[in-house]
Amino acid sequence: MVNAIKGLFISCDVPMAQFIVNMNASLPASQRFIVHILDGTHMFVQPHVAEMIRSKISEFREQNTYEKPA
Amino acid sequence: MAGDGDHRGRPYKRPKHSSKAPKYVEEEDFALDNDSDDDRRRGEGDAKKIDFTKLELKPDHVNRPLWACADGRIFLETFSPLYKQAYDFLIAIAEPVCRPESMHEYNLTPHSLYAAVSVGLETETIISVLNKLSKTKLPQEMIDFIHASTANYGKVKLVLKKNRYLVESPFPEVLKELLRDDVISRARISSEESHGGEAFTVSKSTGEIEGGHDELLDGAELAAAAEDKETHAFEIDPSQVENVKQRCLPNALNYPMLEEYDFRNDTYVLFVFGLLQVNPDLNMELKPQAQPRPYQEKSLSKMFGNGRARSGIIVLPCGAGKSLVGVSAAARIKKSCLCLATNAVSVDQWAFQFKLWSTIRDEQICRFTSDSKERFGGNAGVVVTTYNMVAFGGKRSEDSEKIIEEIRNREWGLLLMDEVHVVPAHMFRKVISITKSHCKLGLTATLVREDERITDLNFLIGPKLYEANWLDLVKCGFIANVQCAEVWCPMTKEFFAEYLKKENSKKKQALYVMNPNKFRACEFLIRFHEEQRGDKIIVFADNLFALTAYAMTLRKPMIYGATSHVERTKILHAFKHSTDVNTVFLSKVGDNSIDIPEANVIIQISSHAGSRRQEAQRLGRILRAKGRLQDRMAGGKEEYNAFFYSLVSTDTQEMYYSTKRQQFLIDQGYSFKVITSLPPPDTDQDQLHFSNLNEQLDLLNKVLNAGDDAVGLEQLEEDADDIALQKARRSAGSMSAFSGSSGMLYMEFNTGGKKGQGKSKPKDPSKRHALFRKRFN
Repeated sequence: MVNAIKGLFISCDVPMAQFIVNMNASLPASQRFIVHILDGTHMFVQPHVAEMIRSKISEFREQNTYEKPA
Repeated sequence: MAGDGDHRGRPYKRPKHSSKAPKYVEEEDFALDNDSDDDRRRGEGDAKKIDFTKLELKPDHVNRPLWACADGRIFLETFSPLYKQAYDFLIAIAEPVCRPESMHEYNLTPHSLYAAVSVGLETETIISVLNKLSKTKLPQEMIDFIHASTANYGKVKLVLKKNRYLVESPFPEVLKELLRDDVISRARISSEESHGGEAFTVSKSTGEIEGGHDELLDGAELAAAAEDKETHAFEIDPSQVENVKQRCLPNALNYPMLEEYDFRNDTYVLFVFGLLQVNPDLNMELKPQAQPRPYQEKSLSKMFGNGRARSGIIVLPCGAGKSLVGVSAAARIKKSCLCLATNAVSVDQWAFQFKLWSTIRDEQICRFTSDSKERFGGNAGVVVTTYNMVAFGGKRSEDSEKIIEEIRNREWGLLLMDEVHVVPAHMFRKVISITKSHCKLGLTATLVREDERITDLNFLIGPKLYEANWLDLVKCGFIANVQCAEVWCPMTKEFFAEYLKKENSKKKQALYVMNPNKFRACEFLIRFHEEQRGDKIIVFADNLFALTAYAMTLRKPMIYGATSHVERTKILHAFKHSTDVNTVFLSKVGDNSIDIPEANVIIQISSHAGSRRQEAQRLGRILRAKGRLQDRMAGGKEEYNAFFYSLVSTDTQEMYYSTKRQQFLIDQGYSFKVITSLPPPDTDQDQLHFSNLNEQLDLLNKVLNAGDDAVGLEQLEEDADDIALQKARRSAGSMSAFSGSSGMLYMEFNTGGKKGQGKSKPKDPSKRHALFRKRFN
């Protein structure tokens, strides 16, 4: 019997994959969204988290970016 | 904002002019400043666009080099034939903001105009020259601004006479106004306390100031007084001088004080212990072989513009010959000189420079450090010491107490301050308040500080007299042409996973510094430069843990705070003279003042957060020009002869710091090249360390098992700048790390020719580590 789950396939670089894994691990068990980690740069996640991941990543990158003050 | 508007506006909003102006000008300047422009816009929210269409472009604007905007910003085209003259003028009246290759940005500020007036430029001259150079008619706002900020300059002078500070002015009403200020009236001292014998009676009431000044004059001074009869003065408390000066700055009372020293006529008679003494001349001249370079001449001429010596700061890049400027200044004033440096090593270097460039006799120069306490015999001489020695507040030995007493009581002709950017820190203010000097000269390469205390220098020392343009010096071959590169090293999976964990927040730095990809990039660069180019390399790491780990794995010598003077000298000597030692690892002790002229490559693996100053100082280690002059000039054989690599782990905080650190150098016109794939994919991976996962995991374990204090930043007792930097850095740290007794810091080096051997059977670092830990805990 084949089980089909609808989800989102994420392809990213190694550090960002770790970032998402870490984000997943920091959530309570009921909210974890990673269905399967395929390899270092690919994973399969719940379909509704795309926006959340995007905003977290941009927030993270924002922290690491210096902007010259006016 | 007007500047931004102007910038943008030029290509788009003034089509009728753009047809006249050369096309390339527009494009170039637009492209160059585009980025910072955008930043500023975002920063200020909705940018108001200013319409510049009304500005009148002069018919011959092509021949004129600058754009002056109503908000005080000035843009200079460096390709203009008038660039040199315009630059000299602008640097005198305005603050340089950013100086890339083709277009400079300057800002007119009250402080910069203060500096301009104090070097002798008059209001009308400033306006007329500016008008001559500007492509457009000078905006009325700018003219008003210049008038407003220069009106009061030169009305008040601060004079040191007979060890007392006097505020002088030809206008009694100005003095009255000053005395109405709380700070100043409290700082004022009535004369009875200081010289009982003299009939110098200025009462506390402001009305009687006029009476005071004449009695102040004595025989030697009468001649001068004859021309300058209307000088009124009151005395202030030496400890309050700084506050008084600060009150007089443009943002408060707006009567900035001029500090000039008429050293040629300084024959004030001094009563010391009942003996008649005259502030004696020091017999020293520059040796004939000391040929100041054009920019050194220029900076000195700013200082001695009208035959008097002005207090102020001269800014020259590292390696451009600051010490010659200092020595020349001392040789011109020919009075006793107190020279302050940051540490004992640079004290030695200054003493050496004095002997090298001037005819000063050995007994006239003495060093005063914790190791060598030389007393000078004659009545005039040069004393070289450190800021710490003078400012030290605790109990001293009898010897040094005597010397310090002498320093305190003496009236110095010149106070020469090296690396003046460290001065604003609290303890260094003390130095200025306890040493009495007629004239202060500050020297520095990097007039930036993260704590924004740099403006304090305006009243602590004086205005900036001269600032050299780095790129011009590079073009003339006076300093090395440096290729700056930022090497992006991606974090490995395992390290990044740990980096993200909350419980590792204290180890973040250690994790991104020890990133195996970074290590490999570093190793590759060292090999490349050692083997292919035969370069001498300095590797900088602020993080002691990383420093030791890197140096031990690569088997290279290292110097950090706890390294003894003997060992330092030995390592540096080997680095200079031996062909076997081509790389040395330095902690931040090497940032300032360790003079390693041989080095021409810097690899920076970790740094102190976002310190722009540190970045520039480190770059300065390799700026001293090497090789033959003609090769270095523009169009010479070698395009770049020095290399500055900053290794950065991507996706970490380091990216933030790295960009911030570069700002100063970018403002000086340097550009950073980003290198993303190091080591290149075609290199033999097995040659480098940490190429397989097991080694990387070992390293990770080592980092995670190290104590929090071991992976932190190095702490130096003598680290002056820290005092004013972040407090957090002072609090953490273990005694064992301080004294160097934590086990992993011990190591022996075999520097002679055993590199190959070392690499063929690398010791297992984790084993050694465990052993040492056991032994020392």
